[in-house]
Amino acid sequence: MWSVVKSVLAALLGVQSNQKRQEDFSSGKPAAYIVTGIVITLLFVLMLIVLATFAAR
Amino acid sequence: MRSAWRWLLVITLSASGSQANANDWNMPVGVTDVSADIFGLHMTIFWICVVIGLVVFGAMFYSLFRYRHSKGAKAANFHEHTSVEVLWTAIPVLILVGMAVPATATLKNMYDSSDAELDVMITGQQWRWRYEYLGEDVAFTSNMSTPRTQVSGAETRGEHYLLEVDEPLVLPINRKVRFLMTSDDVIHSWWVPDLAVKQDTIPGFINENWVTINEPGIYRGQCTELCGINHGFMPVVVHAMEEDEFDGWLAERKEAAAEEAMGVDREWAMEELVARGQEIYQSICSSCHQAEGQGSPPAFPALANNEQLISDVDWHLNKVINGVSGAAMPAFRSTLNPVEIAAVVTYTRNAWGNDTGDVVQPSEVAELIAQ
Ligand code: HEC
Ligand SMILES: [Cu+2]
Repeated sequence: MWSVVKSVLAALLGVQSNQKRQEDFSSGKPAAYIVTGIVITLLFVLMLIVLATFAAR
Repeated sequence: MRSAWRWLLVITLSASGSQANANDWNMPVGVTDVSADIFGLHMTIFWICVVIGLVVFGAMFYSLFRYRHSKGAKAANFHEHTSVEVLWTAIPVLILVGMAVPATATLKNMYDSSDAELDVMITGQQWRWRYEYLGEDVAFTSNMSTPRTQVSGAETRGEHYLLEVDEPLVLPINRKVRFLMTSDDVIHSWWVPDLAVKQDTIPGFINENWVTINEPGIYRGQCTELCGINHGFMPVVVHAMEEDEFDGWLAERKEAAAEEAMGVDREWAMEELVARGQEIYQSICSSCHQAEGQGSPPAFPALANNEQLISDVDWHLNKVINGVSGAAMPAFRSTLNPVEIAAVVTYTRNAWGNDTGDVVQPSEVAELIAQ
């Protein structure tokens, strides 16, 4: 689970080591990455909204 | 080659920051705190871009030259270097956030039109601006005053060619003025670079903006949203005055408006109405119906020798008061007052060979509008 989160975060930043990429593609289900990706994106958007709300005070 | 040198000169001069000349190619610093902020942001971001450009292209050209093939350089064939990749992702993020913080602060300030001391309604119309000092009973339209002969080339162009109006928007300095901006017909945009205001005026919407002008002066701008055939002929002129001078001006205009309102009740002489009507016709109607009332059919009907117009006063009044919906003929019931409508109709009925001898009194028009 943690390794999936780390891979998704790396993907968000756009930087990933080759070794980790090989691991990701040889184990685990695609669905796990897709769902985690969507959740983290939503969290990121939520964080921006919270930040903006505070900044607008 | 010549133009390359010109550009080099431009860049060096702007680097030396000579303000007086900077305005020739840069945006103006303007005369409000907001415009100065925007100028500052623009220059900050410009210099950040210059530094990035120098570093990136410097490194690139240095490497191209230093490690060139003819000197026996061998390409390093590595793939992936996580820490360098993280670094060149993180640096742009930091730069962008660093630019976003002051930019957002300025934007926030620009949108805060609260606590204004004066409200002015700005309405775009094809092709003029209407200004209304809310709560002060003062309102007028501002038309381009550059003569058509200068546009056609029959006369040499004046100093403020296409940037001059019959009546400028008059504002006080040092007071926060809120603009409520809308349009009667299509989308226009009210733009005055020195005030750093560029706001679309949209039919059915009211946009807000504000200024606090720091220096008295005359500031010029234009409509900056393509709005039809005379888009280029609806300039904006703002006359910023010292506060007491402005108060005097406003009081004078209020008095004149009150007098005009009384003028509705009295009997007007034909010559008075014709003289007044001619001014109004030339500044408002002639852009469509032409200077001699000849129109330009089929788009704009002739008013001179127009059979129906000559024979039917009520029809004529109705056209001017209510306009023609679905056609370009605007309704003037709210943009001209009864005296002005009576004047322009009386003028039309007695000019260019329409010698009807009819006189339409402002009181009759007021009654029609009230219905
Ligand atoms: C934006 C262009 C425009 C302006 C400005 C304008 N008109 Fe018109 N006017 C028209 C058009 C277009 C028509 C024809 C409408 C129609 O389809 O019946 C028209 C029609 C008329 C008619 C009826 C003529 C006829 O034969 O149908 C009168 C009278 C008239 N205008 C008077 C005026 C007066 C007075 C003013 C100035 C206060 C004025 N107009 C300003 C575009 C304009
Ligand atoms: Cu316009």
